[in-house]
Amino acid sequence: MAVVDGQKVLGFSEFEDRFGHAENIGNAIAQALQQAKISAADIESVAISRGPASYTGLRVGMAAGVAFAAVRSIPLHGVVALDAVATALPNAKSEQWMVISDAKRGEFFCCRYSGIDESGLAIRSSEPEVIKPEQLEKYSDLATVDSNSDAKLIGLYAEKAIAAGVDLSDSTALYLRSPDVTPSTKKRVSG
Amino acid sequence: MIQIRELIETDIDEVFELEKQIFQSDAWSKQNLLSDSQASHTNYLVVQDNQQVVGYAGLSSPPGSFQADINTIAIAESHRRQGLARQLVQRMIQMATRNGAENMFLDVRADNSSAIKLYESFGFEQIDVRKNYYQPAGVDALVMRKQIRQPLVMGIETSCDETGVGIVRGNRLISNALNSSMEIHARFGGVVPEVAARAHLEALKPTIDSALSEAGIEIADLDAISVTNGPGLSGALMVGIGAAKAIAVAHDKPLYAVNHLVGHVGADILERGSLQTPSIALLVSGGHTSLLLVRDLLDDVELLGETIDDAAGEAFDKVARVLGLPYPGGPEIDRVAINGNPQAIRFPRGLTLPKDMAEHKYDFSFSGLKTAVARYVEKAEDAGEEVHIADVAASFREAVVDVLISKAVKACAEFEVPRLILGGGVTANARLREVAKQRCEEAGIELRIPKFSLCTDNGAMIASLGAQLVMAGREPSGLGFGSESTMDVSKVQSL
Repeated sequence: MAVVDGQKVLGFSEFEDRFGHAENIGNAIAQALQQAKISAADIESVAISRGPASYTGLRVGMAAGVAFAAVRSIPLHGVVALDAVATALPNAKSEQWMVISDAKRGEFFCCRYSGIDESGLAIRSSEPEVIKPEQLEKYSDLATVDSNSDAKLIGLYAEKAIAAGVDLSDSTALYLRSPDVTPSTKKRVSG
Repeated sequence: MIQIRELIETDIDEVFELEKQIFQSDAWSKQNLLSDSQASHTNYLVVQDNQQVVGYAGLSSPPGSFQADINTIAIAESHRRQGLARQLVQRMIQMATRNGAENMFLDVRADNSSAIKLYESFGFEQIDVRKNYYQPAGVDALVMRKQIRQPLVMGIETSCDETGVGIVRGNRLISNALNSSMEIHARFGGVVPEVAARAHLEALKPTIDSALSEAGIEIADLDAISVTNGPGLSGALMVGIGAAKAIAVAHDKPLYAVNHLVGHVGADILERGSLQTPSIALLVSGGHTSLLLVRDLLDDVELLGETIDDAAGEAFDKVARVLGLPYPGGPEIDRVAINGNPQAIRFPRGLTLPKDMAEHKYDFSFSGLKTAVARYVEKAEDAGEEVHIADVAASFREAVVDVLISKAVKACAEFEVPRLILGGGVTANARLREVAKQRCEEAGIELRIPKFSLCTDNGAMIASLGAQLVMAGREPSGLGFGSESTMDVSKVQSL
């Protein structure tokens, strides 16, 4: 959770617990506000990561963001996490590059970019998608950079994008995969 | 040592002696004292000094009246001016608050200035005078009232496939907004956890908004937030938890994490204005089949038994599929069973044989029943016989209902509890209601079935349980709790 004002980070909290999103979300918000020395009533809008990310954890953060914005009657902005990371990469100027993250089940979430626009936002050259490792092989000549996706990046991206007039009104989760179920069929019980 | 405790039947002789000494010609008869103190809508306390009763007080708060009356309050001459009356009044106010009273009344002699001062110090105000009420002296009675501001609580429920947000004030239902993802699950033949969790996230804002607008309140007016944190589907629960925590922080409100099943029992508070205990509660839905003994909603809920395999609602869904009927199975089976003979086929009653009853007296099992129905249908189809779906549906339904109600009624008898509360979505089943009504009447059991919007999963019941915790002065849960998919019913609140 981060509190940002323009391109300044006023407060930031992070809990390193892959399975503790529901436990930690309340304290994450409270601590970030406390560090920023502002009250919840001072927040002017909420930016949430729409993912793609691990579904259960993603939803905890999104639910909190949606509810916070709803009950404070302030705007809600949806940010694609890959865009936020792409925009924050320091050495990504005009080259082709892509951002990938772990999508579990041996797959990756991926989005390709080509350059930075005049507002400083990464320009997408593909839509966010799920790819298999072998699809990554053709990009093997690209240099790799490790980057974290955290709440600061989401907030900073949203500030930049809003200033540039980018529409962030889509605040639905970006799952990129359908739920793993198949319609039921009737099965025999007797042999 | 002086102690204040609940009055028990054996105190009555001593209480009556005091009553005669203090009230003389106005004294109640022993019989009246006994019957009033033992009534289900009253709370009586006694003050005990060593082994001796030296004071008592009685409060009456009839269910659904949202008010409480101090019927009597008395301290022995030898124990006055020690602040005991003050302690009794304070306890009466606490009990009235916990019973859901919004107004509290009492009569006091106009010439008893110290009592009047005491009541005024607790916020009682004179609202009326009864002239010459106390005879033969002809002293007026002042009628005094204290208004109790009951807590306004929002409850959030996302444990299965219903996104519910409800608002209550104390024991009163204010609003109950619901969005169901049942239709999306229909094509899968049952609730799919990932599908349910996705739907909760989407339904969150619209459901919160409609609960608030239906109630005509602002979120800032709330005194507390409560949220289901188990039992249920983890991913689904976490959506509600994330939202509830954010709301609590966004408006600096206390947050209560509560048990979904106990919430179902709490739903009856909103229907009748208070919960009568002890009660047996039978909770039957697509996810649960549980029989509870509720001696006290907040402090003493015991699981007598539960399903050891499928939930009853799940059995309806699975049998509907066997019969080629759509999801959800409950209403479909109800529909076709109307024309069927419930005695046509004798399907097994799970866990009712003597050997099962020894170990699983109040447990349920529906998996074998479902298989029996499927075998019956397959056998008939293989033999080229026509399957009489109405008879199969009616006979299956009869088997489920028979076991559920038999065990619930048996529990009422064994624990000498004259009250049965039904909850959960399966209470919509026409035959369940019919059989419950009939067998409870025969056994002299009072049957409580809240209206359907309070029986199925909903936010109001969670708000109600949260409100009960606030009214009892419980500490909030803090922000650190998580989801507990298999939470025990004895854990009413997570801290």
